[in-house]
Formats: sequence, C-alpha cells, structure tokens
Amino acid sequence: MNVVIKRGYFLITVLLCGALLSGCWDSDELDELGIVVAAGIDKTEDDEYLLVTQVINPSEIATEAPTTRPPASTYSTTGKTLLEAFRKMTHKSPRKMYLSQLRLVVIGKDLAEEGIMQPLDLFYRDHEFRTGFYVTISKETDVETLLSILTPYEKIPANKLMHSIEAVEENHGSSHGITIDELITQIRNKGQNPVITGLLMEGPAESGTNISNVENIDAPTKITIDHLGVLKGDQLVGWMNEDESLGYNYTQGDINSSVVTHPCSEGTAGIEILRGDNNMGVTFENDEPSISIELNLEGNIAEIDCPVDLSQADVIQQLNQQTEEEITRLIEESIAINQNEFETDIFGFGDLIHRKNPKYWKTVENNWDEQFKELVVEIQVKVELRRKGSATQPITKES
Amino acid sequence: MDNQSISPRQFMFLVILFTVGSSILIVPSPLAIQAKQDAWISISISVLAGLLLTLFYNQVAKQMQNKTFVQATIYAFGNWVGRFLLVFYLSFLFILGALVLRNIGDFMTTEIIPQTPLQYTHILFLLVVIWGAFLGLEVLGRSAEMFMPWVVLFLLLFIFALLSEVNIENLQPYLGDGFTPVFSASTVVIGTPFLELVIFLMITPYVKDPKTKQRAWIIGVLVGGIILTMITLFCILVLGSDLTALNASPSYQVAQRINIADFLEGLEVVIGIIWMLTIFFKLAIIYYSVSIGVAQFLTMDDHRPLLLPLGMGMIVLSIIAYPDVAYFETFVSETWFPYALTHGLILPVIVWVGLMIRGMIERKKNNKKSNSQSS
Repeated sequence: MNVVIKRGYFLITVLLCGALLSGCWDSDELDELGIVVAAGIDKTEDDEYLLVTQVINPSEIATEAPTTRPPASTYSTTGKTLLEAFRKMTHKSPRKMYLSQLRLVVIGKDLAEEGIMQPLDLFYRDHEFRTGFYVTISKETDVETLLSILTPYEKIPANKLMHSIEAVEENHGSSHGITIDELITQIRNKGQNPVITGLLMEGPAESGTNISNVENIDAPTKITIDHLGVLKGDQLVGWMNEDESLGYNYTQGDINSSVVTHPCSEGTAGIEILRGDNNMGVTFENDEPSISIELNLEGNIAEIDCPVDLSQADVIQQLNQQTEEEITRLIEESIAINQNEFETDIFGFGDLIHRKNPKYWKTVENNWDEQFKELVVEIQVKVELRRKGSATQPITKES
Repeated sequence: MDNQSISPRQFMFLVILFTVGSSILIVPSPLAIQAKQDAWISISISVLAGLLLTLFYNQVAKQMQNKTFVQATIYAFGNWVGRFLLVFYLSFLFILGALVLRNIGDFMTTEIIPQTPLQYTHILFLLVVIWGAFLGLEVLGRSAEMFMPWVVLFLLLFIFALLSEVNIENLQPYLGDGFTPVFSASTVVIGTPFLELVIFLMITPYVKDPKTKQRAWIIGVLVGGIILTMITLFCILVLGSDLTALNASPSYQVAQRINIADFLEGLEVVIGIIWMLTIFFKLAIIYYSVSIGVAQFLTMDDHRPLLLPLGMGMIVLSIIAYPDVAYFETFVSETWFPYALTHGLILPVIVWVGLMIRGMIERKKNNKKSNSQSS
C-alpha cells in the first residue's frame, strides 16, 4: 500500500486514541472511594429504610504507626429506597461508597420480621456488589449500634464477623453463614426455606463504640455469632437454640467438625466429630412421602472422665451408641420445633421430593408448609469413634 | 477482490470462535427460563440441529463451486432476482453485526463500566473490528490461531476453578416438566448461533483444500457447541436454574464464584476475556463478510472503501435497534428464531435449488454444444 496512506491511518489512530482515552467515565481513584465492608438495613418509624454502612479507614489499616482513630467509621442515613439512602450518604461521608468489598449485610429484627426480599433486590441487582457476602440478622440490638462496636483482634469489625461465622461453621457447627445468592435461591424455592445467622451484642453499647473497648485485654463489649434464625418465605419467624441449630446442620451435611457432649455413668465425655457424610432419601408409600436421613460420622474421644475401661472394645461400642443417640436427639428436636412451632421446611425436604418425584410435587407445592407438618422423618445415625488420642485411659482412672 | 486464503485449521478456529461469541453471554438465561434445570439437554439438542444445518451448508457450499454466496446467487438467479434475494441476506448479516455489537456494549455497560456511554464502547470496539476487516481474512485467520489457546486456557481455568462449587442436585429432576419446554427452549440456541452460521458461505470459497474444509466446519460447530453446552451446564450446576434464569449474564455471575484457596478472587473480568475475544472474532467475521458481500453486490474490486461507511451505519443501527434490555430479551427469545430461520435456512435452500437448476441448464447447454460439435 501507499506509504502516505499508511502514515495517514497511523496518524488517525493516534489521534483517536488521544481523544478517546483521555476521558474515562468509569475511572474511580482509590483515594476517592470509601470502601464499605458492612451494611446494615432496618426500617424507620416513618416507613423509610435506615441504612448504616461501615467504611474502613485506610490510613489506620495500612499504617505502621497507628493513631488513636478507629479503624472503621459508620455512617447512617434514611431513604425511601436503599439507593437513595446510599447516595444521600455523601452528605456525611467525604467519599463515594464503594461496595465491591462488602463482607456482610446486617438486617434489623423488625425489618426481618416484615420480609427481607425487597431490600435485597438492590444488593443482587447492582453491578458493584459481588455475590459472596453473608446476610445476617441482628437479634436484639439495633443495626446502627451493632455495626459501631469496635472489635479486638481483628481491626475491621466486618472482617471479625465474617471470620467468626466461618470459624463457628468449621469448628462447632451451631451456626451457618448464608450468602446472598443462596438466600435468594432458597427464598424463591418453594421446597426449602432459608435459615440465617443471628448476631448478638454482649455488654453495654456505650463502651463498645469507643476505642477504649479494644484497649482492654477483655473487651467489655463483644459481638457474638448466635444460632440460626428461621425464615418462612422471606419473613423471620423464630430462632432455634444451639441444639436445634446443630441438628439442622447435621441434616444438611454442613458439619465439618463438631463436639458432642453426653453424660456417662459418673462424669461426662466429649466426643470430637471429625467428618461425616449424609444422605437424604425419600420413599413413597400409598402416595405418602416419608423422608429418611442417614448420617455416617467418624470421631475421636477427646475428653473423658467416666470411670470406664477404654481398652475394652464394647466400651467404645457403647460410646458410639450414646453419641448416636445424642445426635439423633439433636436432629429430632430440630425437626420437631420446625414442624410444630415455626411450620416451615428449612431442611429442603420439599426440594428433595421435587427432585425425586416431580409429579407428586406438583400436587403439593402450593401448600407444602402444611404438608411438611405431617411429614414422617426417619433418622439413622451411625457413629464410629476410631481413636482416643494420646491417652489410653481416662486420666482420672486408677490403674 | 484480493486473493486471500486461509487454511482449514484456521477456518475451524474461526467457526469455533464464531459459535461461542456472544451466545456465551445471552444463551444460558433464556434457556433456563424455559427449560429450567434441563437447559443443558435443550442446548445439546440444538447442537445436533446445528450439525445437521452444517451438513446442509456444506452441500450448498459444494454447489457454489468457489463462489461466495453473493456471487453464487447472482450466478443462479441473474442480476435482478439474485440481487433482490441478496438484499435480504446482506441485511440479515448487517443486522446480526449490529446486534452482536450491542451485546458486548450492553454487557460492558451493565457489568463493568456503567457510566460510560454505550456509543463509545461501540465505537472503540468496532474500530478494532474494522481494522481486522481492513487487513483481511488471512490476518483474521492467523490471529484466530494465536488467540485460540488463550480462549481454551481461560475456559479450562473457568471449569476447573468451579468444580468445587458444583452441586449435582441442581440438575434434578431430569425432564421434570416433560420434553415440551426442552424442545421449545432449544430453538433459542438454534437461532443464535447455529442459524447464523450461514455467514460462512461467504468465507468457505477462501478456504484452501476443499476436501478437509467440510470436516473443519463440522468439527468447529461441534467444538463450539460443546463449549456452549459446558458453560450452560456450569451455570446451572453452580447457580441453579432459578438464579441462571434470574440473571442477565449468568456466565459472568458464575465466574464471580471463582475462589481459589481464598486469595485468588475476583477473576470474573479475566474470565471475561473469553467473551471479549470470541465476540471480537464473531464481529470481525460478520463485518468482513458484510463488506465483501456488499462489494460483490455492487461489483466493486475492493471492499476496503466500504469499511468506514458501513461501520457508521452499524453503530447507529446498534444503538437504535432496540430501546431497552427488556425489548432485547423478548427479541432474542421470540423474534430472532423465525427471522434467523428465514434467512439462515429458507434462503439458502432457495439458492441451493436455484444453483442445481442452473447447473443442469449449463450441463445441457454444454452437452448440446459438444453434441453439435461431434455430430
């Protein structure tokens, strides 16, 4: 090709690059963003949304010589829609809220009882949110106070809460973190209702919001991960206690590691559950479904002060059986309270029936929660304690 | 027209990239709305239909004997009737190009750069495409060869990084609502991309080695179809059919779930390179075909003077083609299939029959000539 034409094209390209690259509509400079790590939502008295955001204070996080300023700040506004509230926040905050790093959403108790689906729409729709954050409910405290509590050990309170949820899930199993997309799927699913993590504040609110809270070796005010809240559709209907929450997590196969305590003749034994798999099945008899839950767990003896001879195989067998009974009790209690009190299927039995017998499901899907109350559930737990740690006998036992 | 030619291997890569491009973004959602957890069965059926279509296109290509679709139509039907048919064919390709451009524009402005005006995303993207079409088919073929490993690499990353998120239960119950929704959903994928493959009738004459190019086309469609099936399958396995249907671009949403050992997160934009690359090639193929098609339609020697004017038209069309995303969603699920069927199947059938009749007439003429010569 002609050299002149070639040069012409080159020139046009360079000019176009200059014209088009100089203006970036979507550029966001890091020092112009307020990085939101937690958001709290509740209803105000005049039926508007109350929005609280916890924004990290980068100069406190990234510095080697921290000052006495808190590592995070909270802002709160109200608005008829959440977007309005988010944008109004610029009245108070020097920076635009940046939402991609959101760790956790805390929903106020009153709003949760009214229904949470409506406010969640923005969190699912807006492109800035990613879908891995947890949704929780503040059990007693208002969200503004809860998000203003400074936490020891982890500087950013939202991070502390996220890690706590995960730690409970992995080591005790009495709670369960639910991310926004799981939550939305389950609310929309007729065959399974969601559970949601509860957050609890311990201690006085006044001292918790002050930096001195984290200057004590035992912080006077703490936020703890509580047990599971039960939703019917998108409305909070009640809370399970520790046993029921554990039972729920056993049925879902969400137990990574847990502890079972049970009394033996004169003392107690602590059993460490290491791993397990669960199997849920449904059988039909005369067109009536019945559910069977099968659990196979493996564990260790972790702590024991019963006067038993651990070298005997039948003693271990007995411990196996006692552990099985204990876990069965947890699951039974969990199912009972949901069938009788909350009347909501959080176990996904309906979903299981849908998967195995879609024809039958069509006939019951619209009043499934009623059917669920009458559902027969059979539980079979098999525990195998394989090891007893470094000690061969209870150390209280005389040899 | 310049005598460019590409190898069957490059042709195959172009077919793969064309099949995957833009469908990867827009297909899973309408499929999951209709077929729910059986969307992957629908798309497998569509791939079979796509393979049958390709066999047919290969027959048409055989009849065309080293002519492009535009030249062959004019040859079969004469100057006026032929050009009348071609107005439909070329407008189909042109509109397809505008829509594909809008796909990438909508995706970018929804998920990545919402503040940027749509026009500028379109202009910047199309400039690169025009540059590709300016350099010609050979360059496109060679760059397809260069970029294919990247697409494969990111796809493998996508699949392996998501294996831990997979939940087989999301696929059950199989065929819970029977076969009807599965079949009706499969028309979406037959419409886009498989009926759009008619565009390669503009490209095949430039492929060397007539024996293997048929096979290259079929393998290309098969591989592209498998990639689309895998993506849809992973959307459902990871998100479940409900969220797949709820989401505007589920494949991007799925990529957000990638989390390798708790520190490699936020890879969705990296995975997004797959659709950038595939849509670029799809658009470049469309753009090149439209420009050489119009050039042959107007019996011009060179397609290059047409590139910029066509681009201006395409940008305007891509903006005004539909007012909002809701319009587009109905368009994809309801309007596109009959429209693509008319231009992707009925039109080629007409031309195919025309070419056979023309072939018979020519042979008779030749026979008469040789008969009269010999007698």
